[in-house]
Amino acid sequence: MKTIRTIQLVLTFGLFLAFTSCDNNDDTDNSSSEAVESNTVTNLQATQSADYTTSPATITGDYIRFSFDSGSTTTGDDWDVAFRGTTILVNGGEATSDDEPERTGDAGIYIASGTLASITEVNTELFEVDSATDGLAITTGSDNGWYTYDSTTHIISPIAGKIIVVKTTTGTYAKFEITSYYEDGEANEDLSNSQYYSFNYVYQPNEGETSFE
Amino acid sequence: MNLNKNNCIFILCLFLNYILLAQTVKSDSTEIKQLDEVVITATRTIRQLSSLPLPVQIISKKDIESSNSIRLSDILNEQTGLITVPDYGGGEGIQLQGLDSQYTLILIDGVPLIGRSAGTLDITRLTVGNIKQIEVVKGASSSLYGSEALGGVINIITENPKKGLNGDINYRLGAYNTHDLNTLISYKKKKIGISTFINRYSSNGYDLDDDVTLKTVEPYSNYTFNSKLTYDISKKTKILLSGRYYTQNQDYVASEELKGESNINEWNARFKISHNYNKKWSSNFDLYTTRYIAKEYLDSISTGSRYSDSNYDQVLIRPEFRVAYHVNNKNSFIGGIGLNHETLDRDDFTEKPIFNSPYIYAQYDANPTDKLNLIIGARFDSHNKYKSQFSPKTAIRYQLSNKLAIKSSIGYGYKAPDFRQLYFDFTNATVGYTVLGYNAVATAIPELEAQGEISSIIVPISEFDSELKPESSVSINLGIDYTFNSKLTSTINFFRNNISNLIDTRVIANKTNGQNVYSYYNVNNVYTEGLEFNLKWNPTKNLKILGGYQLLYAKDKDAKEAFNNGEVYARDNNNSSFQLQKDDYYGLYNRSRHMSNLKIFYNIPKYKTDANIRTTYRSKYGLTDSNGNTYLDNYDDFVNGYCILDFSINKTFYKNYKLGFGIDNLFNFTDPDNITNIPGKLIYGKLKIHF
Repeated sequence: MKTIRTIQLVLTFGLFLAFTSCDNNDDTDNSSSEAVESNTVTNLQATQSADYTTSPATITGDYIRFSFDSGSTTTGDDWDVAFRGTTILVNGGEATSDDEPERTGDAGIYIASGTLASITEVNTELFEVDSATDGLAITTGSDNGWYTYDSTTHIISPIAGKIIVVKTTTGTYAKFEITSYYEDGEANEDLSNSQYYSFNYVYQPNEGETSFE
Repeated sequence: MNLNKNNCIFILCLFLNYILLAQTVKSDSTEIKQLDEVVITATRTIRQLSSLPLPVQIISKKDIESSNSIRLSDILNEQTGLITVPDYGGGEGIQLQGLDSQYTLILIDGVPLIGRSAGTLDITRLTVGNIKQIEVVKGASSSLYGSEALGGVINIITENPKKGLNGDINYRLGAYNTHDLNTLISYKKKKIGISTFINRYSSNGYDLDDDVTLKTVEPYSNYTFNSKLTYDISKKTKILLSGRYYTQNQDYVASEELKGESNINEWNARFKISHNYNKKWSSNFDLYTTRYIAKEYLDSISTGSRYSDSNYDQVLIRPEFRVAYHVNNKNSFIGGIGLNHETLDRDDFTEKPIFNSPYIYAQYDANPTDKLNLIIGARFDSHNKYKSQFSPKTAIRYQLSNKLAIKSSIGYGYKAPDFRQLYFDFTNATVGYTVLGYNAVATAIPELEAQGEISSIIVPISEFDSELKPESSVSINLGIDYTFNSKLTSTINFFRNNISNLIDTRVIANKTNGQNVYSYYNVNNVYTEGLEFNLKWNPTKNLKILGGYQLLYAKDKDAKEAFNNGEVYARDNNNSSFQLQKDDYYGLYNRSRHMSNLKIFYNIPKYKTDANIRTTYRSKYGLTDSNGNTYLDNYDDFVNGYCILDFSINKTFYKNYKLGFGIDNLFNFTDPDNITNIPGKLIYGKLKIHF
């Protein structure tokens, strides 16, 4: 994975150089489009704890916020999506409970069926936001959203062919596919390495551009 | 797996070679007398097996004895197209024509066994010690038997009192400290017959995986008592009284900290009076009642307090009146009327449900010509809790020549929603999800809402206003019987079962704890289809070779559609999704495409010895959706195919003593990760005393 990242970095850097050098030659076109970025995030830890002595159980833990624009986690209001346990929030709409971060942006989210490569176009009509009355845009529970829960093995598996499409807080678009919920991609015997997200994403950095190609 | 398969084939060849060699020397060519066995299950009248228009298998006492089987699961596993599938509750259910255990009705002497706490009827509950014959009828048989006879019927016929005083004692001692002791004493003189059967079976259980603290099967012991009393009031009027009691105790270990016991108590009692009015008319009245109680508890070892308790108590009472009218040799009618009264007291239920279901059935059996047999029957079951059912069936057999006969049947079968699917109200204490029976939704959801546990409703309560429909099927069987000569016969049967309204679970609401509320609904349409082939060959009087094969396709129609539409994805080595093709859909879980068996029984009269080798093969099958797309496809992990070879030899001494020795699972096949009901190699010895 590291080598891929390095190659990607080199490539991005290379592209950046190419574009900046272009800019030098052509001063008139400042809005020349940036290239679509493909990237991988591994082992993003989003731990939640549950206290079963209360009924219903009390779930605690910080939501880990992620920004596609920066390609990294953030603690500010510039987040697009946030993770805690199997729950995914979007920075749009309103909080559904007190311990969630306040929604300051107008991001949106939906789940498409396909492969990361086959979703080439954003369907802007499908975006949903979190809602205090209608619940989260990415519904929780087994087989409701992005994962299935096996009640025998207790393993959480991302459903194949579920691509999550995001409208970011900056008005750009991204798509991502969760590849694992366990550290280093595989559940260990006692499942203690759960709540580690790995996902591949594609980011379209040009505002308003709905195509990923 | 391949090694294991090759081993099986190798040993079989050796055995065959040896026998055939021995045979050529002896040049023994006595004609074999084909015994025509009779069956009662297929038509509820006594019929010759060879003349039936339905696919029926018979397992004789002789075959059970020479195989040294002790539980019903042992012997059924060796039959073509039948396989026992372990249930997570610990029991084993039978799969027949690719249909789950809950769709096969299990009868003892024509009356049903109950106690399907999670749908499966555990057939390891039944000892084979007092069995006279096992009859397996394939294809929907609800026209005679009502609910559950959707895939077929297995009827266990037990011994009746025989003339004079007879007794048997059998003892088998085997690996895993397995003891099976049974005794059958019967007495019959003039008008009175009485028989008593007692069986004790115990085992230390076994552990396939040494790493874990829990055993695969915990130690258990069980007893079966069975008694019959027959009394002939006159030549025309006869009475049968019978009773059966079964009790099992098993250790129940959930972890090192939580230990307890699970107990099963089951009994039944039956009174039957039959009367022959004249040569044409006869009738009988049958009153049957049975109760099944299963109790489980776990204690916390460190605190010494009770951690959990569970209780299941089911009762069935069934009076039935039957009439037979024998018009002449070519036409006969039977009819019956009865009532099923069923109650269940169980933990996690919203109420104590009572089912009442009166029913009526009739069947016409005709032989318009010597070559043609026609059966038409139908049954109507009325019900107080779900939609009433009408189940017709027709079957036809035509003898084309001395060697060739064709037979075909088409029938409707159904399985009523069980108590759990209607009244369950269960919340998992550790994970927090809830399962509601269909009829429990209307009251339980508002209660959960009032407690603030519901975050959103997915399926409105109003959808649960209409009744849950029984699962139903139309089954078609088309068979050909071909007799090559008196030594070699074969049957082939093509089958298709179209099942609609299969009951499954779905999410009906989200809970505030992030979990779901599930309930049952009619959704899936599935089918099973394939063919079954059986060959019986008696090269000489003392050698019998039986071979069988089943080809099976079991698929969900909606799943097939999803694959056809390209809606299903899997993951590659980098965990990225890719689209699956049409052919990538494998079918339902736990179904093998190929199953086969080969059994060689060899008798050496000179030494009063019989020996046999029995082998069964099952091809690969899927147990779980390992790649998380909710379907079983070619990219999932499969359980490898396997072959089991059993060997046994029995010798009679001084007429009344018989010693047996055998090895089950000779090649010590195990698959600890996937198969819990196959222990390793099992060596045993057996003694039988007849008096």
